[in-house]
Amino acid sequence: MSTESEIESESENRCPCSCTCRTLGLIYGALLLRLWLAVRAIQTGIEKYAGTLASDQPVKIDGVANTQDLLSSASAKEYALSHYHGVPQGLVDKFKAEPLMKSYTVMDYTIDPLKIYDIILGPALVVLGVTILLGIASRTSLFLLGLLYISLTWGLILIKQDDGISWLGVHMILIVMALMLSHYNRCTIFKKW
Amino acid sequence: MNQPLPFINRRDFLSKTIAGTGAGLVLGAPNILRAADPGSADTIHVALVGFGKQGEVLFNCLRNIPGLHFQAVCDISAFNLKWGMGQVRAFQRSSPKGYADIDDMLATEKGLDAVVVATPDFWHSPHTVKCLEAGLNVYCEKMMSNTIDGARAMVKAMEKTGKLCQIGHQRRSNPRYRFVLDHLINGQKICGQIVNINGQWNRSLGSSQDIGGEKLHASTIVPDDVLNKYGFKDMHQFRNWRLYLDLSGGPISDLGAHQIDIFNWFLGAVPKSVFASGGNDYFKKREHFDNVMCIFDYDTPQGGVRAFYQVLTTTSAGGGFWESFMGTEATIKISEIASSSAIYREDGAPPWDKLVERGFLKRKPAPPKPPPSADSVKSYESAPPEGFDLPGGFNKPAHQPHLENFFAAVRSNGSVKLNCDARHAFLSEAPIYYVNPSALTHQPIVFTTEQLSV
Repeated sequence: MSTESEIESESENRCPCSCTCRTLGLIYGALLLRLWLAVRAIQTGIEKYAGTLASDQPVKIDGVANTQDLLSSASAKEYALSHYHGVPQGLVDKFKAEPLMKSYTVMDYTIDPLKIYDIILGPALVVLGVTILLGIASRTSLFLLGLLYISLTWGLILIKQDDGISWLGVHMILIVMALMLSHYNRCTIFKKW
Repeated sequence: MNQPLPFINRRDFLSKTIAGTGAGLVLGAPNILRAADPGSADTIHVALVGFGKQGEVLFNCLRNIPGLHFQAVCDISAFNLKWGMGQVRAFQRSSPKGYADIDDMLATEKGLDAVVVATPDFWHSPHTVKCLEAGLNVYCEKMMSNTIDGARAMVKAMEKTGKLCQIGHQRRSNPRYRFVLDHLINGQKICGQIVNINGQWNRSLGSSQDIGGEKLHASTIVPDDVLNKYGFKDMHQFRNWRLYLDLSGGPISDLGAHQIDIFNWFLGAVPKSVFASGGNDYFKKREHFDNVMCIFDYDTPQGGVRAFYQVLTTTSAGGGFWESFMGTEATIKISEIASSSAIYREDGAPPWDKLVERGFLKRKPAPPKPPPSADSVKSYESAPPEGFDLPGGFNKPAHQPHLENFFAAVRSNGSVKLNCDARHAFLSEAPIYYVNPSALTHQPIVFTTEQLSV
C-alpha cells in the first residue's frame, strides 16, 4: 500500500514522452562538459604556439608614405611552431629557483624535468583535447587530462600561485563530473576505455 | 599539351628537398648581413680609424649596411686593434689589415674609398684632413675638433679636395627628428611662433665616473712612448681624454653639441650671443666644468628666441636628455629616446583633429586627472596642454641612418646629399666653442661674423 505522499511523488517524476527527460538532460550535460573541457585543452595547447609578428610600415601622410623613413610598428598575433613555449618564460625563471625542479643525473643522462615538461605540455593539451572532443577513449583521456592538471597544480603550489590553483581545482571538478556522466556519453568514435 | 610529370620517388624527393633547403640556408639568408664581396665594383672599401667604445658603436651599425668591405682597422692601442680586427674578421670572414698609425695605413692601403674616424676629439681634425687629402671620403664623429680652428681646417680640406665629409651629428638623419622638422615645425607650423628652447643632458654620477680605475689589465696598457707620441700623458688620459682641456671640449662638447646642433638646425639660424655659467661642483679636480648652463639668443624671422641648455654630469634628475621647442601654440619635446618625446598643444591653439586624421600625429592617452589639492590657486594655473605622439619611429641603432646617408652619398658620388657635411656642422658647432670661455669669464659673448665663419 502506498501512502498518499508517495503517490504524489511518483506522479511528479513521471514523464509523458517516450524517453525519459532525465536521461536526455544527462546526455546533453555530458556532451556540453566534454565540449567545454576539449575546447579548453585544445585552445590552451594551441596558444602555446602563439607569438607576435611585428611589422613596420612607412607612416602615411594623407595616404602617401613619408620621405623621412618614419615607420609605424604594427604587431599581429600569429601561430607557428617556432613560437612554441610550453611554460611561459616568467614562470620558467621562478621554477628554476625551486629545489624540487632541479635537474638530476641518471646513468650519465641529465634529466631536466622542467625542460621535458616544457616540451610535452602544449602537444599533450592538444592531443588530449582532441581525443576528448572526438570521443576517443573518453574516460582514459579525461583521466589523463586530470593528471595533467594535477601536475600543473603541483607547479603552481611550488611558486605559490593560489589563484591558478583554484582555477585548476574547478577544472578538476569538471573532469570528475564528466567522468561521472560518462555513462551518458554519446557521439564517440572509440567508446572503449 | 599536358606532358607526363617525371616520376619522383620518395627517396629522390627527400634528398633533393634537403639539398635545396640546405643550400638556401647556407647561401641565402646570411648573405644580406655579410660584408660585400671585396672584388665587386659596387663595394665600398672602408677603413675604421679608432676602435674604442664609439668605434665599436659605429661598427655595429656599419655591419648592417650592405655593400661595405672593411679593409683596414687602425688604433694605437694593440688591445683595441686586436679587438676591432677580430670583430671585423668574425663579420666578414676575412681579416682586415691592422695599423697602429694612420700615416702607415694611408701610405700602404690602396683602393680605400672611405674612412670612419672615431678617435678622441683632438685627433678628429688631423685625421680627417689627412684622409680627405689622401682622396678619401670621411665620416668623422662629432665634435669636429677640440678647437674651432681644427674644425675650420676640416671644412677647408673638404671643400679643397671635393671629397665628402660627414660629421657624426646623427640626429640629423634620425627619421623622427627629420619628420618633426619637415612636417610639424616647417610644414604644419604647429608650434606657432617658437619663443623658447630648453634642452638638457643630465647624467648621474654613476655614469660620469672616470673610466678604468687604477688597475688595468696588462693587455690593455699602451706603452708610454706610444701614448706620448700620440698626445697622451698616460693611460688615464688615454682612457679619459674627455676630461682634459687639451684633448676635448668637456661635457658641453661631448654631450651638449648633439643637442645645441638641433637648436640651430631646427631654427635654421645661428645664435647672436651666448651667456654661460659652469663650475666644478662635484668633480673638483677635473679640468673641465662638471656642470654647465648656457643661454643662446637668436634672432629668427619669426622673432627672438632664447635657448637654455644645461649639461649636468652630477645628477640624472629631470629626465635624462631631450630638447624642447616651445611655441605659442605647441611644444615639441624630442629626444633620441622615443619614450621621452611628446608634443603638447597649447590651450587655445586650433584643434589638431585634422592633423591626427591626416597622419601627422597620434593622440596620447590622457593622463589621469590629479586630485584637487588644498594649496593650489586656480587662478594661477593654465589648463594642462593636450598630449600627442609622433605617428611612428624607426627600428635601427641610433647612428645607422646617418651612416647610411653617408654611404649613400659615397655610392652616388655626391648626388645624394649629406645630412650634415662639415660646413653645416661647423655653422652649428661654432657657437659651442664659446660656451666654456663665457662660463670662465662670467661674461656674455656676442658673436662676430668672424667668430662663426670658416
